[in-house]
Amino acid sequence: MTSRLKRKLGDMGVDLTSRKATENFCLIGTPLPPLEKTKDTGEFVPLWKQEVRDERGRRRLHGAFTGGFSAGYFNTVGSKEGWTPSTFVSSRSDRAKQVAAKPEDFMDEEDLRELNENRTLVSTAEPDSTGSSSQPAGNMGLDNDPIATALASAQHKDSPGMKILKKMGWRPGQGIGTRVSLAERKRQDAQAFDPYTGVKSTESALDVGSDDEEASKHKYPRRDTPILSVSRKNKGYGLGYTPGLTLNESIGAESGQKGASGPKISAGFGLGALNDADEDDVDIYDSTAASKTRIAFDHLDHDQDDTIVIGKGKGRQSNKPQGAKDPAQVFYDGTPVLPGFTLSDQPVQEDKWFPGPEVPPGWEPDPRKVWNASPSKEKPQPPAAPSGGRPQISAAERGTILGEESKTRSIFEFMSEKDRERIKRIAAGDVPPAPGAPAPLPPSSFTMPQVEPHIARAALQGFQPFTTDPAKQARYTAFLHSQADSNAPPLTPLPGQEPEKFHKEVEDYAKAAILFKPISGAMAGRFTSAVVLDVGPKVQEGLHKPTEEDYAKQEEEKRAEEERNVPPKVHAARMGMYGPMTRETQPWQPAKLLCKRFGVKEPDLPAGADATAGESSSFSGMSFEKEAAEVAAGAPGTFHAPTGAPSTSSVGASSSNGPRKLENIGMGEDETQGADILTYERPSMDIFKAIFASDEEDSDDEGGNKDDEEQDDRDGEVGQTKSIMKQLKLQDTGPVDLATFKPTFIPREGKAKANGDDQRAKEKKEKKEKKKKEKKAGLVSFQLEEDGEPNLGNPTRDKDRPKKKRKDKEKKREEDNDAGMFVDPSPEQVKAPKASDITPVVEMSAHVEAPRVPGPKGRKRAIDFLDE
Amino acid sequence: MAPSRGPQPIPRDLHVVLNNHKGPVNVARYAKGSAKYILTGGQDRTVRLWNANLGTEIKTFAGHGYEVLSVTVAHDNAKFASSGGDRSVFVWDVATGQTIRRLSGHLGKIHAVEFNEDASVVASGSYDSTTRQSIQTLEEARDAVQTLYVGSTYLISGSVDGHVRTYDLRKGELRSDFIGNPVTAVIPTQDSTTYLATSLDNHVRLMDMATGKMLNDFTGHANESYRCRACFSYGEAGVLCGDEKGLIWAWDLLDGKVMPPNPPPKAHHKVITWTEHHPIDAGEFITCSADGTAKVWKASTDQD
Repeated sequence: MTSRLKRKLGDMGVDLTSRKATENFCLIGTPLPPLEKTKDTGEFVPLWKQEVRDERGRRRLHGAFTGGFSAGYFNTVGSKEGWTPSTFVSSRSDRAKQVAAKPEDFMDEEDLRELNENRTLVSTAEPDSTGSSSQPAGNMGLDNDPIATALASAQHKDSPGMKILKKMGWRPGQGIGTRVSLAERKRQDAQAFDPYTGVKSTESALDVGSDDEEASKHKYPRRDTPILSVSRKNKGYGLGYTPGLTLNESIGAESGQKGASGPKISAGFGLGALNDADEDDVDIYDSTAASKTRIAFDHLDHDQDDTIVIGKGKGRQSNKPQGAKDPAQVFYDGTPVLPGFTLSDQPVQEDKWFPGPEVPPGWEPDPRKVWNASPSKEKPQPPAAPSGGRPQISAAERGTILGEESKTRSIFEFMSEKDRERIKRIAAGDVPPAPGAPAPLPPSSFTMPQVEPHIARAALQGFQPFTTDPAKQARYTAFLHSQADSNAPPLTPLPGQEPEKFHKEVEDYAKAAILFKPISGAMAGRFTSAVVLDVGPKVQEGLHKPTEEDYAKQEEEKRAEEERNVPPKVHAARMGMYGPMTRETQPWQPAKLLCKRFGVKEPDLPAGADATAGESSSFSGMSFEKEAAEVAAGAPGTFHAPTGAPSTSSVGASSSNGPRKLENIGMGEDETQGADILTYERPSMDIFKAIFASDEEDSDDEGGNKDDEEQDDRDGEVGQTKSIMKQLKLQDTGPVDLATFKPTFIPREGKAKANGDDQRAKEKKEKKEKKKKEKKAGLVSFQLEEDGEPNLGNPTRDKDRPKKKRKDKEKKREEDNDAGMFVDPSPEQVKAPKASDITPVVEMSAHVEAPRVPGPKGRKRAIDFLDE
Repeated sequence: MAPSRGPQPIPRDLHVVLNNHKGPVNVARYAKGSAKYILTGGQDRTVRLWNANLGTEIKTFAGHGYEVLSVTVAHDNAKFASSGGDRSVFVWDVATGQTIRRLSGHLGKIHAVEFNEDASVVASGSYDSTTRQSIQTLEEARDAVQTLYVGSTYLISGSVDGHVRTYDLRKGELRSDFIGNPVTAVIPTQDSTTYLATSLDNHVRLMDMATGKMLNDFTGHANESYRCRACFSYGEAGVLCGDEKGLIWAWDLLDGKVMPPNPPPKAHHKVITWTEHHPIDAGEFITCSADGTAKVWKASTDQD
């Protein structure tokens, strides 16, 4: 650090001696590489990042377009020479140089390697000549040609030992050792036997006549001893078992053909009618040979020669490698061999039995000796052992025998005189005898085990070990009683019970009594003996064989259980009560495409509501309304009309509970909708006449004195809503005189009343009667007519009719009344007082309305109000 | 629709026997239109096309690797679909005899395959208890779907779990009726108000589609373990069903009584797997059986 920097730092208040200030950032030298590669070779690498490299580390597999095999020159499609194609060179001049291209020329190293692998190696070397002793040397097609044989044998690669032997004069086929005389050789020949079979073999016997004098002058090589090569037994199966045999085959059943053939499936005529269709595992499309050759796995482990075939002699072995399948095998006595077994051709070694040691003549078996010899703690030794063993001699006796002076002195000798006398006195006095009267010994040689009476008494009250076996328990208690009370009769062996068993039993009891006696004394109060409760199921000994009753009971229980668990719908189905019980509906959303394919509009299931619950009163679903619209394709106006004020209160309520059915789809909330149409009666002809006729007549009037109605009518043709209103009006006019139609005219009535009661009185009567006559036939209820109208066609005209009629009459009145008021009402005015009684509510509101809106609009208002 | 004089007698005269199949014939369907031809599918992995009148085999459609369990013909007779043990639906071109399409996706045997009215959708029902259309999989069935019917706006499936499920496309509703026993065949009437359900309890039931109530019950035949499809006779005036003993039973639709002769004569040696009435001709129907034959029955001319 320069002094300047130091100063500067000092000014800044940095401690110059701190490590931070003196930190050095210079790196000197090269850092060592990390000790070990940190890359984890087992790390997961995604498939697309994995690379396949060949043994030299080159990338060999490439993308799909490069074929996935090793591409040309350094993973390119080029070559060492690059892209330049080889130019054409005429070979005309040097044809000799031309070499026919071999396939190998076009192979890369992998192909070449593969090719090499496919080449089968054939050893050119001759088999080792040691083994050729038995076979003639002329196995190379040079039979009986000694020179050729010699030449051929010269080529043999002999083992070093063989070479040495040969140099020593040995020839293949001869025995090793010094030469022997003819007699000796003949003896050897006579003794020779085949090591495999043990049968005498005359195979390489010397064929020299015994009378040949010349022959006996020579010495002969020893007979060759064939090497017995013992096959190692390295398999786990036993005699007579042929590996690869199925169980069926091994017991002689002919199952081989069926299993081997399998499902005969071929490309032409395969899995036919006769094939079991359940063979799902059969890969019918796979026709590779590999899948058809089925080899048991264990079969592969054994070579052909590995299988033990037991036959007579070597020749036979080679002839019949599968001896087990030879049905013609018979024993020597002619009985056929059992299926699954084969005859052994190896001599059976006889078991040798050695005679046991000779039994001394007077000996009798006496098991008691053994019993008594066994150390038993409880059992005191019988006083006089009947055994004829060594006489038991005490030490003193032995001493006397040996002439020793007895050195043992009585304990009394060490006692004082006084003590001795006292002891004598005590001994003479009544000293209680040893407790526990010994039970009378049974006559047999063993002693009854003794249990102290108090122990026996305690054991009687204690744990009972043999509760599971009542008979044994009874004997146990009897035993305890006999021990506890000397008067009780002793336990006697059961009739037919052997003394040993009885003895053992009693000993068991004694042991049990000691073992299970309850704790005595102070501790006894702290414990309670366990009580064996027989709560578990009764265990039956041996194989349990349920009786018929058990079965029946079980089945009944099962049935009852099932009956209980049966869901109601199953029950209903069983009873044949099909219907709501067995039906379940649930919303199901078909795929959009499916709907499209079926040409069906996609059902719009309401999100929350369960559309299928037929109960839902409000059909909020859009589709439903649309459907309704479709169904009611005829005149939408008429359908909407009834949903207005007059009908909702009555009809809406009733419809709310009705389930949605096919019939009432499209009815909206009003179930009775359309019923009017169905029940509509055609009005009488004169009504129509009146209506249509008047149209023309009144056309003049319209011009001069325009009713509100008329205007409305015209407007109505423009808009639907208006037409509806007109309908209503029309209807009103029909039954006007009946006072069924109130609201419109009520406000007027008031006026009318006020203005001219007298007029009305007259007109009322007259007109009423008239109109009644006229219209009675055509009178249809308000609602009905509404609905009925559309069928007739143009509603507006309808309305015109009656109005115009009325108009004639009304005109006069209108002059009296306000010009702007309704035209029709005149007849109603007459009736009004009565009508008003009927619908007070409407009246009221009408009153409010009327003054506010005078003129032509007043008419409309009234109807709007109706709709409300 | 129904003749006023009640159901006509069932044609009992054997017209031709179609016996080229090597094993049981599982299904026999009339072609659409005038229905002059018959398609049968059998255990021998083939579908065969027959002339119903002459009884000659016209064509063999081989290509299935397993038995053929169901066949359905398109409305224009130009193609048909078949299905069976190899878990895919084969759509065939009738003229060339080649499979146009192989629709896989099922995990088990396909028991039923059905075109809709204009053959734009094919529905298949399988052992894996689903009904599949190439578009949507209906997985409500709890057991193998044995039968299907595709109507104009609905789809009916019958399943081994004892349910008949009606999928209503318009309402977006699934109505499942519990029959109680495995349902092997469902055929609705043409007005789609009732359907005929064959179940493995020796019953054929006529059920009301709207309410799920049983309208009629047809019994007498033996059908407990095989799929024996019942069908309506001409004009839906009666019900026809072959049973496991090879008898062809006929009932009056209205009173549910067995039409004479009762019991009917033996028609096949083995179980009758499929019965289908000619769609137009009053006096003709076809049965096929596990004995390897399909038989065309016609009313004798003098009889009717």
